[in-house]
Amino acid sequence: MSDSLELTRRRFLGQMTTGMTGLALSRLLMSDLGAAMPPGAHFAPKAKQVLQIFCPGAASHIDLWDHKPLLEKYDGTPLPGPVEVTFQGKNGNLMKSPWAFKPAGKSGKMISSNLPHMAQHVDDIAFIHSMTSRSNTHGPGCVAMNTCFTREGYPSGGAWISHALGSLNQNLPTYVSVQDVRGEPPNGKANWGNGFLPARHQGVSMAAQQALRNLDRPAGISSAEDEATREFLRATNLEHAEAHTGNDELRARIAAYELAAKMQLAAPEVSDLSREPEHVHALYGTKDANPLKAAYAKNCLLTRRFLEQGVRYVSLYCASRASGVDGLLNWDAHRTLKADYDRHCPVFDQPTAALLSDLKQRGMLDDVLIIWCTEFGRMPTHQVGTTGRDHNPDAYTTWMMGAGVKGGVSYGATDDFGRRSVTDVATCYDFYATVLHLLGLDHEKLTYYHNGVNRRFTDVHGHVIKPVLA
Amino acid sequence: MLVEHCYECHSAKAKKLKGGLTLDSKAGWQKGGDSGTPVIVPGKPDEGLFLRYVRHLEPDMEMPPKKPKLPDALIADFATWIKAGAVDPRDQATVEVKRADKSWWSLQPLAKDFKYPDIDGFIDARLAEQKLARRAPAKPQALIRRLTYDLTGLPPSQPEVDAFVAAHQADARQATEALVDRLLASPRYGEHWGRHWLDVVRFGESNGFERNFVIDDLYPFRDYVIRSLNDDKPFDQFMREHLAGDVLGKFDPSVEIGSAFLVAGPYDDVGNQDAVAKKVIRSATLDDMVTATGSAFLGLTINCARCHHHKFDPIPTEDYYRIRSAFEGVVHGRRPLATKEQTQAYNASMGPLNKERAQVVAEQETLTKAIETKAKAVLATRKYPRPKADTLLTEEIIKPTEARFVKLTMSATSANPKSGDGGRISEFEIWTDEATPRNVALASHGSKAEGVKGITAEDFPMAYSAALTIDGDEGAQWYIGTPAELVITLPRVEKIGRLGYRTAKGRVLRDNSQGATPCEYEMFVSLDGKEWQKVADSYDREAWSPAHAFERVRKEVTTPDEAKQLGLLSRQLAEVDRRIAAVPKLPSAWIGNHQAKPEPTFVQKGGDPTKPAGQVVPSSLAVLDLVTKPYALKADAGEGDRRLALANWITQDNPITARVLANRLWHYHFGTGLVDTPSDFGFMGSKPTHPELLNFLARRLVKHGWKLKAVHREIVLSQTYLQSADFDESAARVDKDARLLWRFPPRRLGAEEIRDTLLATAGQLKLEPMGGPGFRLYRYLANNVSTYIPLDAPGPETYRRSVYHQNARASVVDILNDFDLPDIAFAAPKRANTTSPLQALTLLNNGFTLDMAKAFAARLDGPDPVTQAYSIALQRPPTSTERAAAEKLLALHGKPAFCRALLNSNALIFIE
Repeated sequence: MSDSLELTRRRFLGQMTTGMTGLALSRLLMSDLGAAMPPGAHFAPKAKQVLQIFCPGAASHIDLWDHKPLLEKYDGTPLPGPVEVTFQGKNGNLMKSPWAFKPAGKSGKMISSNLPHMAQHVDDIAFIHSMTSRSNTHGPGCVAMNTCFTREGYPSGGAWISHALGSLNQNLPTYVSVQDVRGEPPNGKANWGNGFLPARHQGVSMAAQQALRNLDRPAGISSAEDEATREFLRATNLEHAEAHTGNDELRARIAAYELAAKMQLAAPEVSDLSREPEHVHALYGTKDANPLKAAYAKNCLLTRRFLEQGVRYVSLYCASRASGVDGLLNWDAHRTLKADYDRHCPVFDQPTAALLSDLKQRGMLDDVLIIWCTEFGRMPTHQVGTTGRDHNPDAYTTWMMGAGVKGGVSYGATDDFGRRSVTDVATCYDFYATVLHLLGLDHEKLTYYHNGVNRRFTDVHGHVIKPVLA
Repeated sequence: MLVEHCYECHSAKAKKLKGGLTLDSKAGWQKGGDSGTPVIVPGKPDEGLFLRYVRHLEPDMEMPPKKPKLPDALIADFATWIKAGAVDPRDQATVEVKRADKSWWSLQPLAKDFKYPDIDGFIDARLAEQKLARRAPAKPQALIRRLTYDLTGLPPSQPEVDAFVAAHQADARQATEALVDRLLASPRYGEHWGRHWLDVVRFGESNGFERNFVIDDLYPFRDYVIRSLNDDKPFDQFMREHLAGDVLGKFDPSVEIGSAFLVAGPYDDVGNQDAVAKKVIRSATLDDMVTATGSAFLGLTINCARCHHHKFDPIPTEDYYRIRSAFEGVVHGRRPLATKEQTQAYNASMGPLNKERAQVVAEQETLTKAIETKAKAVLATRKYPRPKADTLLTEEIIKPTEARFVKLTMSATSANPKSGDGGRISEFEIWTDEATPRNVALASHGSKAEGVKGITAEDFPMAYSAALTIDGDEGAQWYIGTPAELVITLPRVEKIGRLGYRTAKGRVLRDNSQGATPCEYEMFVSLDGKEWQKVADSYDREAWSPAHAFERVRKEVTTPDEAKQLGLLSRQLAEVDRRIAAVPKLPSAWIGNHQAKPEPTFVQKGGDPTKPAGQVVPSSLAVLDLVTKPYALKADAGEGDRRLALANWITQDNPITARVLANRLWHYHFGTGLVDTPSDFGFMGSKPTHPELLNFLARRLVKHGWKLKAVHREIVLSQTYLQSADFDESAARVDKDARLLWRFPPRRLGAEEIRDTLLATAGQLKLEPMGGPGFRLYRYLANNVSTYIPLDAPGPETYRRSVYHQNARASVVDILNDFDLPDIAFAAPKRANTTSPLQALTLLNNGFTLDMAKAFAARLDGPDPVTQAYSIALQRPPTSTERAAAEKLLALHGKPAFCRALLNSNALIFIE
């Protein structure tokens, strides 16, 4: 009737006698209880959890992470070769970054002076400067950076990992998507969808500004009434299940109601930021005068609390969709790069850096793999008639940090101007082959049958990027 | 030699089997590889391909590849062995087939003679092989629930159950037949089975990808599907209409609409300027049509042959492009969908009106020209000493004035000489008159800005707002609405000397793409916000354009007569436009457009549209040329002819089409198909549990003239279907999931069935109108791209059957998606069936359940609400446990609480 995992589980259930308790079932449903070698893993993992930070809108590699001295030198002169027509049209001359780059950390990594807080972490980060994308359009690009396919309908990373490894906690979702206060990223829910995997692997939306849907007991229903309702359901469903032996789903659904009740207790608790001391709020900037920054900072803090409680995969978004209000909603700086990034960098910089510091200081980087993503890069030239940059799928930067990752490393390179990735060219397939590897999964072995193909997360591509492994 | 040099690529253990050839058994070389002929011919060393390749006689096929030629002595030994008869002892080695060829089971003709006369014969024979047997017939109470849900997706009513139970006791067979006939004749049948088909054809009402705009005129296709099923339209005709309805039924909207199938999938409309990206997008758009066609009708994953020959099925990549060429001229979009009479009548009404309108417009233009000529003469005498407004900064230096309020009113923008609406301002500045001037307009100074915005992003109130003019950031802009007026309120009175506004973001380029700048304006100051004093205007600035200049003097050069005449003409125009608007528009629908001369189709190397290889013509799949009548059209065949030829080939004497459809019926009746991958009958799919039965059903389908209702009837009146769902421990040990049907497999209701059941139980389900525009369980926001926000408590206007929900791609609507309504990025030939805590949260706490619980409670008006509730919800009395639990809950918390609980119970959503 449904997927292979379901079948395996059902067979397993079928071998057990009917006296299984709700708790045992709930473990099967949600969790592997943190065994040293998770049942789904192919080999011993380096990381158990993933924090994905996603800056949608194609955050410019050459204005944030990828220093190009020659771009400064040749500012205002033509990019060698014919004038290119890219996503929005014609390109003008080379345009240097409006911000100076400065060396940071022991590694002396050059990073934009617009990211002073992030600069503190470069020695822990492995940059991948040679990324390339198959799409020059935000929606398909974002979806590809989450699912490895430009077409929507494929499972996102969190869904694959939920499918492969299950949950680490008893009372929270396995995969949480924390969206920006400004809305959903390009292509919205396709970014954290379960695709063709069963629905329980989908990313569940929760953020400081947005509670888990349908979590709260409705106004007008007392807790006594809720408890009495559950008691009714327990009694009648149990009788019904006993009268219909051989249907495991009936018991699974009883367990699901028990789990939902636990979630109702756990989710508000994990979301309650008032439990954090003042100095932590100050570190993240949750009370900043800039409402966008304060909102993102709260989500960063919330993210740490999710990871602490054993959420397997958290996708944290900084910015949202493409919009008529370009420059305001996301990193898509087509026309006024300077004004736009003077808005975005301060929103992103301190809260993200605080989250990384906080995870590190709590020793959580032993378990948590951090990946920073955007869908593609930007042109080293300016768009004709503007001071912004058009889309560039041929070069962009992503990075990793934390469990199993070697810090202070820069893998791959773009050409002199950042137009194209040229050295150790990498793809989302390589990126996620590496992520899966760190989680103890062989990206060629993790498959799921769908419409004629045993689908892999990495399609038919991908190599683990070994130089970034610790 | 074989082990050492060949097994790496040509054995069961090869990592990647090359050319479909195995050499690790006698059977392997006897069968041959993709060539389909034995590679070794015993006694004849010169005939088989094996030695030719090894001897390097075939260019590009030298074996082993990329390695030096094998030693001559070794090759000679081989030739000797072949000549001696190629005695191969490896008879026992298992040939593990790694891919299908033309002998694959699903590609064979339909058998004609069958061992058994009916369904039960096939089922019982397989059961007997496993020493299993069917269960006793189901009890009538269970049976009518099973049948009613299965055929209509809704629960039966208590009176229906009572009547059936009574009739069943009198004559089970007759009662059941009557019930089945009643259900098949119900319009609810088409709604339920239509929903199944919509899954198969990946029907979704938004375009997906980045923008994901909702599509409001695709619902006629959904209604067409429902209507066709209710009418029992022969399914072969129905499928033909999907591919070529517009050709078969030109000017017959009820047939033409079928071809909306082609454009019912997702497609990328983002307007990419990059030439390569455009080609890639077009290829992906056509790929959706190929994929949908292959999977829905043929159960073949033709799409897997887009980049290379199919890895598992005998579909060469050329075949993919042959099918694609049928769709080469199809473009997404809407067009009129009307009868010939409607079209003629419309043209007849519109012709004279358009003519009349053109006449009025011409007169207006003549008169305006004359006025313009006069205006030019006047303008030549005027002097405008100051430069025109500037997108970077339009600034006024004024006599130092005390002010607490500053107002900017705008009457023209660079884009529109007649109105200030639609302009944009990124910053408005008010500088004090002092040694070091301060910009006191800034919000950080405590000032406030008020102004109406022209567009909104509902989920992000700050976007486009007037507040953006004083945020000190020249990035985001205020989009000026009506009235075009900005008022800045300072926290205290200041002496100001300079004020102005910027439109361009940043201070670099005068760029029109950043929006229109206001160019005709007046500025005022006030101490109290009531008495305003004008301090500046634009009227001595150079006009933005000749049109703007004309607008300045228009009034003074227009004579009263001309003004009167212009007034008359504009009233006439309004009148014509009113009459034009009154002509009913031709109905239109999202049915796609068709290019008369499609582009030629080339094989694309590696699926890359920038690497065209050989050209192909519209033709049938070579893989089926032994069992169907193949066709090949000319390269320049007409657009419609291509689709019609494909439609005919798929539906006329094509064994795989009938098999796939028969299996779908079985799948929905029993929860699992005889082949449990209903859209994949290839190597990667499952093999049938009962191959002969599948043939038999396919034959019956054809025999019944492709009418589904007759086949439904045969299936649901079989003893196999009518047996009970009771569990049996020992049978389950042999066949846990009852694939062999030793019992009727119980199932959970699907997403739509659950929602519809809640509505029906609450007495709220509105069956009318059947069809028409769908309802939405989300709020739709469009701002460049789309956002779908699920509703917390959908209102009564949504209380229709779920098949009428306007399902948008990448939207999530609580109850439906929680219970496995698939995202329609892909076809969903079978649905997942998951259990999750989110389902519990939704069903307990979403406003919909609460509203349904309340309405359900209001129905419980009798002396025994518990009995009444169980009768409405489950058409049976409560058990003693249920009664005790219900009475306790009722006593403590009342009817709505009890109803909410009952709506969450397992008994409600599982059927047996």
